[in-house]
Amino acid sequence: MTVTEDRPAYKWVGTRPIRHDGYEKVIGKARFAADLDLPGQLHAAYLRSPHGHARIVSIDTTTAAGMPGVKAVVTGADFPDLDPADPNFDVSVNVMARSTVLYNGHALAAVAATTRAEAAAAVAAIQVEYELLPVVLTLDESMADGAPLVNENNVTKFVESDGPSNLATVNVLERGDVDAAFPAADLVVEREFDTAYVHQGYIEPHACVVDVGPNGKADVWASSQGHFMVRSLTAAILGWEPSRIKVTPAEIGGGFGGKTTIYLEPVAARLSEMSGRPVKLVMTREEVLRATGPAPASKSRVKIAASNDGELIAIECWFGYAVGCANDFAGLVGAMSVASYKFPNLKLEAIGALTNTPKTAAYRAPSAPQAAFAIESVIDELAQALDMDPIDLRLRNAVEEGDPTAMGMPHPRIGFVECLEALRDSDHYQSPVPDGAARGVATGFWFNIGEQSSATVNLNEDGTATVITGSPDIGGSRASMALMAAEELGIDVYRITPVVADTESVGFTDVTEGSRATFSTGMAVVNACRGLIEELRARAATILGVEQDAVTWIEGSAVADGHDPLPLSAITAKAKSTGGPLTVTGSLNAAGAGPSFAAHCCDLTVDEETGQVAILRYTAVQDAGTAIHPSYVEGQLQGGSVQGIGWALNEEYVFDDEGSLENASFLDYRIPVASDLPMIDTIVVEVPNPAHPYGVRGVGETGIVPPMATIANAVARATSTRMTSLPMSPPRILAALEAS
Amino acid sequence: MSRTHVTCTINGDQVDFLTSDDTSLLDALRVELGLTGAKEGCGTGDCGACSVLIDGRLNCSCLVFAPEAEGSDIVTVEGIADGDHLHPLQQAFLEGAALQCGVCTPGVLIAAKALLDANPDPTETEIRYALAGNLCRCTGYDKIIRSVQEAAVRLKGAAR
Amino acid sequence: MSDHRRFTDGEAVVESEGATVGEVIADLEQRYPGLGEALTHGASAGVNGEIYAEPEYLEVDTDTDIYFVAPLTGG
Repeated sequence: MTVTEDRPAYKWVGTRPIRHDGYEKVIGKARFAADLDLPGQLHAAYLRSPHGHARIVSIDTTTAAGMPGVKAVVTGADFPDLDPADPNFDVSVNVMARSTVLYNGHALAAVAATTRAEAAAAVAAIQVEYELLPVVLTLDESMADGAPLVNENNVTKFVESDGPSNLATVNVLERGDVDAAFPAADLVVEREFDTAYVHQGYIEPHACVVDVGPNGKADVWASSQGHFMVRSLTAAILGWEPSRIKVTPAEIGGGFGGKTTIYLEPVAARLSEMSGRPVKLVMTREEVLRATGPAPASKSRVKIAASNDGELIAIECWFGYAVGCANDFAGLVGAMSVASYKFPNLKLEAIGALTNTPKTAAYRAPSAPQAAFAIESVIDELAQALDMDPIDLRLRNAVEEGDPTAMGMPHPRIGFVECLEALRDSDHYQSPVPDGAARGVATGFWFNIGEQSSATVNLNEDGTATVITGSPDIGGSRASMALMAAEELGIDVYRITPVVADTESVGFTDVTEGSRATFSTGMAVVNACRGLIEELRARAATILGVEQDAVTWIEGSAVADGHDPLPLSAITAKAKSTGGPLTVTGSLNAAGAGPSFAAHCCDLTVDEETGQVAILRYTAVQDAGTAIHPSYVEGQLQGGSVQGIGWALNEEYVFDDEGSLENASFLDYRIPVASDLPMIDTIVVEVPNPAHPYGVRGVGETGIVPPMATIANAVARATSTRMTSLPMSPPRILAALEAS
Repeated sequence: MSRTHVTCTINGDQVDFLTSDDTSLLDALRVELGLTGAKEGCGTGDCGACSVLIDGRLNCSCLVFAPEAEGSDIVTVEGIADGDHLHPLQQAFLEGAALQCGVCTPGVLIAAKALLDANPDPTETEIRYALAGNLCRCTGYDKIIRSVQEAAVRLKGAAR
Repeated sequence: MSDHRRFTDGEAVVESEGATVGEVIADLEQRYPGLGEALTHGASAGVNGEIYAEPEYLEVDTDTDIYFVAPLTGG
């Protein structure tokens, strides 16, 4: 179901063709990073820290280097030391520890050998002397007076700093006067919340193959959310010029933000350089969970004031994020999620603090889900206290165009009200709550980002088009690019071949993150197509013997008075005689990524004997601006919702006292499976983004923001017990029920 | 290092290969035989991305030693289409947008085929339990379940 | 961005001049030593409802509101 504003009638945009890369993916021929093998390739394995925090007194690799099949061994000493102020310093240290291991699982050496078993055997023979250091695992420990330093190279960002600290960032946003507003309010609800570290849980472990040739150039095949990012980070960590490295994007088996950084490629490159052989490096699932970025754990305090007639008057929040062993910008971004209501008085503080746990990484709308869980729970409690419908309370206070964001800047055209209305009017919300069940509602949003993208569109002699971009296709973006190109050029979408090209075959393109691919790379494609249409009109003018101004481009043909329409294929057939190949490149640093709002609703039951929550019905409503390929927009909403359901009900990192991850497998880190879930109904709202030629808003991030509060709000109504701690696993629900 | 000679049928073809005793069937398929459709998502039988049929039964190939395949009939995702003619499950998955990143898709297709081979008319709940061993992190399973339902309808229609 | 109020005697809104965001930042550095430097490294600018990651050469009018915010990322 789609709610559509007035807009032009599109022929291709908004249709659901079979994705161009689908055939290879259903017959098992699509090549993910671990699917490539090169002749003479070596296999590498890591030595990882068994300690949560320790100084490396010595590493002896002599025995390992002499073992059967071993061709190269690297440690931190084989990588240049970056200045701690260098923006890539933390990634460099995370890729390979130097003097100190900062978490259990931190890589400190790697071996390349002819087989993986030989590499593993040699890793076991590396002798390391550690001097154990105090381990800091939680936000409270990190922020305590006199807490041991997690990372001696960390200085606090955004505030005055007087030397190393466990504090990563401090952000404060204020407007109005909360100190005056709270005492005067009719109703105030204040709560504290906490959430656990959770992992993105992509099914494909990180993998790469690197071949450094005798000329010193490195060929890298890797799965990532951005191969130009892989190139620049690998170069920075090796101390190379980026142009020494060519990165070819493999198909990516899920990322969700977790593949917006690197772990493997500089290590494989150094091992390849030393051995003169291609090196394949593939993480195990245990390594993925122990050493790649979870999302931060969090604690928060939220206080909101309302009037008796449901006006939200003031909000005061403190959000603390445990960001792992190195700095991260988590704080402010999360805090901003509260901007969805017209609070005249607002005071938000968000901090990040370091812990001896894996360096966190982005995970869909990074930091917003934790904040929204807290805020949307308190909003719900206000609705209960005011005896108001939870959607009505939100509608009464929802931001619209021109209302300030938390940072003060006015919102552009947004679809928050439209999402709330669509949910209110949905079959789900209009249906009675099933007997024995309860219903919860919550909302969320994400700003989205633009950044740099490039696209080249080549017209082929047979009248087809090749659309070349640098955005890895993580969930259907090739189809979106082809649809926009088809709409522009006026040719069939299956006459277009969308290609994701390597770093030497297309212009620079930033990471596929922040829901930017269809928005920003899509604009690059549209720009290139519009350049081509100009060129096609000029060529048609030559063929027809008229002025270019007399030629218009209509549905794939050049049209001029007194002539039959000249189809694109007739022009491409004469490309050579009219001026040469038809190819145009578009590139930009896009601004104007429109925020995407969402409203979710679920019906669930709580088994008061076991504490088990069963989701009976779930609906996700979200503003996509314009859904270029509605199936893949729905898919983003459904996938984000279910990740959020996992975050709400099951998923959490469990560390022992020394910082060893006790549930580093998919058996024990339990993500939702098919039998846990109902269908996930979607309503795609389309409030076009005025900054995009087709009105696109990115949709990848927002879907994970509302689910935790949606479920907690339903649980609160089912049990009269408000869960303030994630995950709401059966033992915690039972404990909360007993306590109340 | 001693190697074991294994003879079996894979996707209808008689094949033989040499493998060490501690090699998984998954590694043998991917490395020895170049069949990289089955993926290693965990190596511990928890994700189902390596699912194959062995003598018609659904297995995680990461949990089977390659020599155990001796004499068996194995079907991988590369073998479920009839030449260029996709299996109804594959076609339904394409039309129903049942894949996003696509890395779990080979295993899901195999598990769904195992279900429909045994139960041509499954309920939604039966489909959900049959696929409960196949993790998908992108789709939330909705479009996968619907596509299996659609394929079941088409297969029944074809069988009539 | 109120954590930068330490440079401005606590003021959250300050006046500045310049034809581009870069010139505005340079002018702020003159008026509030340290602020320009803090904004150059690690701030995006919100101008006319859009957020710009590297706004140095972005043109602004005398009555343009510029909102400096921490860099945005995504997943």
